[in-house]
Amino acid sequence: MPIIVNLDVMLAKRKMKSKDLAETIGITTANLSILKSGKAKAIRFSTLEAICKALDCQPSDILEYVA
Amino acid sequence: MKDKTTILIIVTYGILLSAVSILLNDIREFNFSQFEEFQNWAKTADKNEHWFTTKNAIKWSFYAISAGLFFWRAYLLYAFTYFISILKEIEKGNYFSTKNSGYFKKIANIFIYYTINVLILRFLLASIGKSSFNFLQEFKSEFTFLIPCGLAFYILAEVFERAKKSEEENELTI
Repeated sequence: MPIIVNLDVMLAKRKMKSKDLAETIGITTANLSILKSGKAKAIRFSTLEAICKALDCQPSDILEYVA
Repeated sequence: MKDKTTILIIVTYGILLSAVSILLNDIREFNFSQFEEFQNWAKTADKNEHWFTTKNAIKWSFYAISAGLFFWRAYLLYAFTYFISILKEIEKGNYFSTKNSGYFKKIANIFIYYTINVLILRFLLASIGKSSFNFLQEFKSEFTFLIPCGLAFYILAEVFERAKKSEEENELTI
């Protein structure tokens, strides 16, 4: 898929652990792992909003389109 | 849901067992009448006569076709065992599994094969017995309803496959 999830990069920048982010946004670590690995088929706006709020970033910082 | 599935499994087993017992009884009756008649004919038949004379061919064909009809009835009962497999999958909570859509396709195949083959065998029986075979009249008989049933099961298999994809997509939506 040409959409890349840069969640790892943002987590490293914010020095936050995956487990903490999962707890903050209210999803399981397994689901966060699916999202990070790029296996997810779709992402809800509510999840994206929660991630952006928790990491204090824009959606473009997390999702990137590569042709 | 689990209780309902258990009841359905028991009902299906009941139907299946009664259908099997009816089939076995029919085979026993067939053995008593047709097979004895066939054996008597085989004893008295002229051994030097070529196999494919009209009389021999008619006797053999009549017996083989009658036995063939039993085979197809047993094959139809085999389709009912797939209903139990589907119900067991549902009981486990696997509503839209690949197995279920596969079972539906198998049931559809058996229903359609059964109807077509029984129609062919009935036509052959009628032609051997020199009785009339009205194709449209045969289509009005109950067992031909298995063709639309079979087609409905094909549709159901497609629906289950699509549902499985949707379920997977839903599970992978974070």
